[in-house]
Amino acid sequence: MINAHNIKKTYSGHIVLNGADFTAERKKITYIFGTSGGGKSTLLKILIGALKPDSGKVWYGDADITKLENRELDPFRKKMGMLFQHGALLNSFTVGENVALPMREHTNLDDSIIRIMVKMKLELVGLRDFEDLYPRQLSGGMQKRVALARALALDPEVVFFDEPTSGLDPIVASVITKLIKDLNRLLGITCIVVTHAVDEAMRIADKIVILYMGKVLAVGTPKEIRESTNQLVQQFITGSPDGPISFHASSKDFREDLMVE
Amino acid sequence: MRTQVINLFGYIGRTFITFLQDLSSLYFLFKETVHQSFVLLGDRKKRKQARLLEQVDEAGTQSLSLVITVAALLGIAMTVLISFQLRDVGGYNYIPGFVALAIFREMGPLITGLIVAGRVGAAFTARIGTMKVSEEILALETMAISPVRFLVVQRFIGLVLSLPALTMLAGFTAVFGGFLFGSTRLGIRPDTYVRETLEVLTFTDIYSGMVKSVVFAVIIVMIGCYRGLVVEGGAEDVGRSTMLSVVSSTLTIIIFDTVMTTAFYG
Repeated sequence: MINAHNIKKTYSGHIVLNGADFTAERKKITYIFGTSGGGKSTLLKILIGALKPDSGKVWYGDADITKLENRELDPFRKKMGMLFQHGALLNSFTVGENVALPMREHTNLDDSIIRIMVKMKLELVGLRDFEDLYPRQLSGGMQKRVALARALALDPEVVFFDEPTSGLDPIVASVITKLIKDLNRLLGITCIVVTHAVDEAMRIADKIVILYMGKVLAVGTPKEIRESTNQLVQQFITGSPDGPISFHASSKDFREDLMVE
Repeated sequence: MRTQVINLFGYIGRTFITFLQDLSSLYFLFKETVHQSFVLLGDRKKRKQARLLEQVDEAGTQSLSLVITVAALLGIAMTVLISFQLRDVGGYNYIPGFVALAIFREMGPLITGLIVAGRVGAAFTARIGTMKVSEEILALETMAISPVRFLVVQRFIGLVLSLPALTMLAGFTAVFGGFLFGSTRLGIRPDTYVRETLEVLTFTDIYSGMVKSVVFAVIIVMIGCYRGLVVEGGAEDVGRSTMLSVVSSTLTIIIFDTVMTTAFYG
């Protein structure tokens, strides 16, 4: 459904993505892992068309969305939902208005129908009573759930999740994980999730993509990933501090760097 | 020395290129805003959603007390200043006409524009900049909602409607301030003051002030929103952008004011 091929992206001389490939099949849950700063969020932004890669292509069905200019992307964006890491709810709008926004903008539905739809979407994330509150009056986890309700407003084909469970308590985190699974199993929504949470991914992913140094290190089902003999992959899923992946991100030699002229 | 000169030229060159880039981005933002404004005004449902009155309230009504106070004081100060010059030649009767012309042609639109640039333009930049930082703008884009349509257009329409109204009110208040000082402290008869004012003031004077204020409104909204939309990074950049927004809109207003005054009356 979504294919990205040989994506390269550099930020002010620092290579973030160096020829990454990515495929997400329809109605499946695909997880993207990687070290912090490993290009996960950048890849996500490129997949939703918010960022143009330096080179490479992103196919959404038959269309290459990297060739499209801003407004030409709109038909694709209406089929996508995105859950931002910090929710990115509009702070000057109430919870209900936030969820209603995509429907108000893109449909001709009557206000009374939109109100019912908003209640349904909020019920889906368990926050039906919070319609009239402002985002700042909610906890981080609740904001994320509202943001998820908003992402689902237009019944998208595919939903992207940027670190959906980071910074949440274990219970809310597993509620969100369950929501992702339900969305996929019950509503057939394609889910693409960027995360650090290995356990969660192992539990519900259909496919896992591991990014390392701007490239894809491994692709496979949770079982294949778990059984991989690659040391790097093993270090990722066990989270061991010792292994081929260094904690130090600097490329310069430490001793050399300390030598003062 | 030589490298310093090269650095200086490099700096000037870079600044000039940034300036040109800003200018071309501003042009496209303006074009898009005008286009979207017509689309919005033609669509009843969208017009309702845009909460235009809220914008008029935020930019216009809430600036009213400040603008009125400054205008009244300005009217008095101008009357005081000019009376020194005219006292010895016994030309007090010229005061009403002079004050009215200076206010409606020049000072009214300019002062109102500068106050609103500081108060409202800065708020536009800070607000949109903060939304950029918290990824709200990116969220709008991913929902296929144009940030220009959603954030800039109603501010544009709101200020283009409210700044001329504010300017008009400021003009009358300033003239009234002059009238109060002139009739109570300088001994100009109230009926003479009013007659002199009406004799000198023409429709063109008021009209040219209105044209100026519309141009200033466009400058304030465009620079204010543009500076907000280009914020990158965090709180520090929001602050820097807000400062830049006020500085550049103030400067642009004064430049356009000079050009227009010269064009109308030069």
